Amino acid sequence: MMPGHIVRFAVAIVAFAILARLPVGLDGAFQFDAALALIWAFGILSIVLLTGYAGQVSLCQATFAGVGAYGAGMVVASLHGGYLLGIVVGVLFAMVLGVLVGLPALRLHGITLAIVTLGIALVFDKYVFQDHLFDWFTGGTAGWQVSNASILGIKVDYSKHLLAAYDILLALFCITAVLLVNLHQSGAGRRFRAIRDSELAASTMGVNLTRYKLLAFAMSAGIAGLGGSFYPLIAGSVSPQPFWVFTSLQLAAIGVLMGVRYVPAAALGGLFMAVVPDVLTRYGHGAFMGRVYDISNDWFQIALGVLLIVQLVLLPDGVWGDLRDHVARLRSALPGGARRQVRPA
Amino acid sequence: MTMLRVRDLGVRFGGLVALSGVSLDLNRGEILGLIGPNGAGKTTLFNCVSGLIQPSEGSIVFEGRSLRFAAPDERARRGIARTFQNLQLWESMTVQENLQVPMDAVGKRNTLSDALGLPLSHYAERAAAERARAILHVLELDGYGSRLAGDLPAGIQRRVEIGRALAMRPKLVLLDEPAAGLDAGETERLASLLRTVRDRFHVSMLLVDHDMSLVMKVCDYIYVLDFGKVLARGRPGDVRSDRKVIAAYLGEATPELVESTEEPPVVVTAEEPKRLPAPRANGHRPATNGNPLLEVSGLAAGYGHLEVIRDVTLTVGAGEVVACIGANGAGKTTTLRAISGVIRARSGRVAFDGNNIIGSSPERIARMGLAHIPEGRGLFPSMSVEDTLRLATDSTGAKVKLEAAYEVFPRLKQRRHQAVGTLSGGEQQMVAMARAVLAQPRLLMIDEMSQGLAPTIVRQLFQMIDVFKQQGTAVLLVEQFVESALAVADRAYVFEHGTIAHEASADELRRDRNLISGSYLGSTAGEASTIQVAANGNGNGHKPHPELMEIVSMRVPAEVKRALEERAEREGRPVGALALELLAEVKP
Amino acid sequence: MSEFAAYTIIGLSVGAIFALAALGIVLIYRVTGVLNFAHGAMGMFSTFVAWQVFYGYPHPGMPSWAVTAEAILVGLGFAVVLGLLLELLVFRWVRNRPQIVKAVITIGVLLALQSTASLIWKNNQYHLPIYLAPQDWTRTVAGVPIGFNSILIVLVTLGLAFGLGALLRWTAFGRAMRAVSDNPTSAALWGVRVDYVGAVSWMLGSLVAAVAGILITPFINFDTTSLTLLIVDSLAAALIGGLVSLPLTVLGGFVLGLLETYPQIWIQSLGLPRLIALFVILAVLIVRSPRGLPGVAK
Repeated sequence: MMPGHIVRFAVAIVAFAILARLPVGLDGAFQFDAALALIWAFGILSIVLLTGYAGQVSLCQATFAGVGAYGAGMVVASLHGGYLLGIVVGVLFAMVLGVLVGLPALRLHGITLAIVTLGIALVFDKYVFQDHLFDWFTGGTAGWQVSNASILGIKVDYSKHLLAAYDILLALFCITAVLLVNLHQSGAGRRFRAIRDSELAASTMGVNLTRYKLLAFAMSAGIAGLGGSFYPLIAGSVSPQPFWVFTSLQLAAIGVLMGVRYVPAAALGGLFMAVVPDVLTRYGHGAFMGRVYDISNDWFQIALGVLLIVQLVLLPDGVWGDLRDHVARLRSALPGGARRQVRPA
Repeated sequence: MTMLRVRDLGVRFGGLVALSGVSLDLNRGEILGLIGPNGAGKTTLFNCVSGLIQPSEGSIVFEGRSLRFAAPDERARRGIARTFQNLQLWESMTVQENLQVPMDAVGKRNTLSDALGLPLSHYAERAAAERARAILHVLELDGYGSRLAGDLPAGIQRRVEIGRALAMRPKLVLLDEPAAGLDAGETERLASLLRTVRDRFHVSMLLVDHDMSLVMKVCDYIYVLDFGKVLARGRPGDVRSDRKVIAAYLGEATPELVESTEEPPVVVTAEEPKRLPAPRANGHRPATNGNPLLEVSGLAAGYGHLEVIRDVTLTVGAGEVVACIGANGAGKTTTLRAISGVIRARSGRVAFDGNNIIGSSPERIARMGLAHIPEGRGLFPSMSVEDTLRLATDSTGAKVKLEAAYEVFPRLKQRRHQAVGTLSGGEQQMVAMARAVLAQPRLLMIDEMSQGLAPTIVRQLFQMIDVFKQQGTAVLLVEQFVESALAVADRAYVFEHGTIAHEASADELRRDRNLISGSYLGSTAGEASTIQVAANGNGNGHKPHPELMEIVSMRVPAEVKRALEERAEREGRPVGALALELLAEVKP
Repeated sequence: MSEFAAYTIIGLSVGAIFALAALGIVLIYRVTGVLNFAHGAMGMFSTFVAWQVFYGYPHPGMPSWAVTAEAILVGLGFAVVLGLLLELLVFRWVRNRPQIVKAVITIGVLLALQSTASLIWKNNQYHLPIYLAPQDWTRTVAGVPIGFNSILIVLVTLGLAFGLGALLRWTAFGRAMRAVSDNPTSAALWGVRVDYVGAVSWMLGSLVAAVAGILITPFINFDTTSLTLLIVDSLAAALIGGLVSLPLTVLGGFVLGLLETYPQIWIQSLGLPRLIALFVILAVLIVRSPRGLPGVAK
């Protein structure tokens, strides 16, 4: 193994050890938040791959997660398969959708692609996840109910064994994160980045655009779907609401804010997405200096929107930058600061 | 031996014929040049070979196989690499990574093995890194491997692009204006670099550029395009002195006109009688209040990483007509755009009527009385003629009647309700100039007024310049076609390599042709070229003359060298050996 | 037969809303290069402002038509101010950035607006429309009862479309807008104050979105999210017009409205119209030109 790989694996193992201990001893609601944070972190990882590495804009990542969730739920609740099978099927369904979404991407770019993905997110949210035509997939209005599930013999159902589900999810996340970082430095990763920086040059330098764009979409959808497939497990049931259009938009916004190219940012972003709104809802009201205040989930989204606007307007290097890049450039622009070389993630 | 064979290539964009009946041969090991005036079709031909444009007719055969349906990435795999005029480096990746992508793409890498970090990938990465280092070494880019491509200066980036093209072990490298944005010294270095690359990497090259010094130095053989057809071809020396080529570049100059030195012909057209130009008084026209209307000093500007113009200094006095001439890519258009505020100046000073206008928005500068008709005319395709003219009066606020414009350009009155995009090129130029009639700017800058227009119309338009002069508007004129420009101008600046090489009155330039044609086609007189004579006599067994052991290279005029080369080819021997033999005949 | 006619009326009314919103989108896009994903959100917010004036405060002694007028005026005024603020504070500073960056900024605007509205008005479903005429006012044409609101929507849409067209065609400012749409750099060289033109486009676009929002209130249960999400259908209509042609955009809106409504005759489905909108988007984008739309850069 190359030295870099060893270091990354080591970091991942250490991170796992630390993060696995975190929710122990906390109440069930926090444990749920932690697990949910991981699911959304998968979503942001998927954006890191698709947008950060390959430069393709997508506003429907939560939809891929939802397809994973419903797929897993369908296998377990309707077909009575094991949860492991459910996860696999969920990921596969998500990847198939990813390829389908990637097809228009071959001919469209930038905002037209964004429009199409937004349309897809809306259609799945309002139609596929809600219309009775798809009850076989969604489990009807109530959605699939999942309980007493187990993965490879480990009991992981939401009511009593949430921690186990969290641990498995965390392990998968760490592995995926490491693989993604490795991908960045690999040949395929370079090809993705070449497509992002200049599709024209990539194509004339031998990169098969069709193959790599579809690969990026499929892999990205698969990652989001992997996270989503755990949703029925930790929540006990699936509904369209967590996977609606606004979640996709929030994922995209957080991805851009945290720096779409930076894998560790995904974890942080996921944490924000799950924990902050819930904390706000539970603790964000009361009285302060005699005045009643109520900071709800809405404030989180307001802050998200405003921060996104401010960041994009003020920072000159465009959307797909990296917080570390920005910091490095700011530092080198200061008087006396030597021109620093910024290393890619 | 023919690596690339293009036959009867034709490209049509809607009604526009970009290429027609073009045939071209490129031999193994050759550096082939493709030149021609703006709009001649060089880039179109180039893009057909690299796969970005599909020709409407004709064939392109590379190493015996047709390129007809091959996508760009397929062409890369077959051994065709290219660089881009505006530098399409992958800026967020390091130089080494930029080189590795084509290497990987042409080689085979296993994605899963990469992801898991298996030894196979480790080995492959090391091998690729080695090869990249070797390429960087030849290009004198040692140590740049881990720098981000986006952070490098333009000259270095150019070399990185070439390195990237070489990384895929191509057989043919297509070079798209590699000298764009380089100054004279950098262009020299590029020329020698290209020859080195050709020799060390055994690649053939197809080179498109406006920079004649580069093309003449580097290319073995040249094709000249004009209006989508092959105009001439041959060795650099032949092409340079070909009259057809000179005419194509310098304008409607016939050989007779080139010789004459007296006042320019007075042209009268039967169609649209206007006031005839008064006989020109030569020399400077002093500005009315003593200060020049426009003062530019030390101007530098560019696009992205390219610095296109540097240290440009010029003045225009009130009521003067000043021309900027020079080859394409020399920086004339960029200068105008930096003056009118379209692009930001990087350094220098621009004063209009005493006021510094650097940093002002283009609309503010326009309202101050400095009008700019850009290349391509800068019109609005969907607006009617009348609406466009009204737009001109809107911004001045003055209640000038449109009739003033229609008097000067009666043809526009007939077409007043037509959309400007549907007008002919000449009519569009009239609309653009009509704005100057209505808005009455103090200074009018016109960029490539005659582009794409027939000579009769061009003559009429140049007469308009005189009308502007009568009405008190100063004119700064950028023109590729020297004759027409010099016919109306008082003074002229000759641009070369992004800065001003000469300044002279129009008279002086008319008298000394060499000043100009040297700038366009590379100088004819006194250019030295080098013959390498190795001490061992080039390995043909010929014993060297003892006294000549000390001579390892000789500088001779280019024509001499070409003649030697041709004779050597005829006789089937290396040039050096022939040179030695001839020298040996020179007895003390 | 009369059922078909009734659905036609509904389809045209819904289509009129799409057309209106799409007009604003195309206007802003052509002049400033910003594809405004937040357009629905802006209309939604202005509508809620008008709604708040109408239902949220007592209006003692005022006749109902005056209250309605006041609500509408305040809502429209708010829309104009909102558009101006967005241009001044945000979009003026990103004029030269790539279109995708500007579009992502509008997503930030969408999120901020929608959550602010949710903060103020909660996530309730509202069914208290602003009536511009007595609700039971109908006329019967060829045996089909047509509600006043339906007629009003179509008339207002056509009126605004013609008004906008007239502005562009006959006025100096309209010429300036067309110039900037065609070629912003050249327009600047001609002395056009591009920033002013941009600001007015934003104000007009926002205004039109607000009109659409207010007019739709009699027809649907509206909340902060559903109005925001009408952006997708409006984008579909705008794309039919190629993001260029105003008349085609209006036509596209009506056509889309009909396309979304007719299937309701046979299939009862809340989500189906969105699917139709998506198909239209895909069809237009892929059929129109191999590499997307002419005015749309990468």
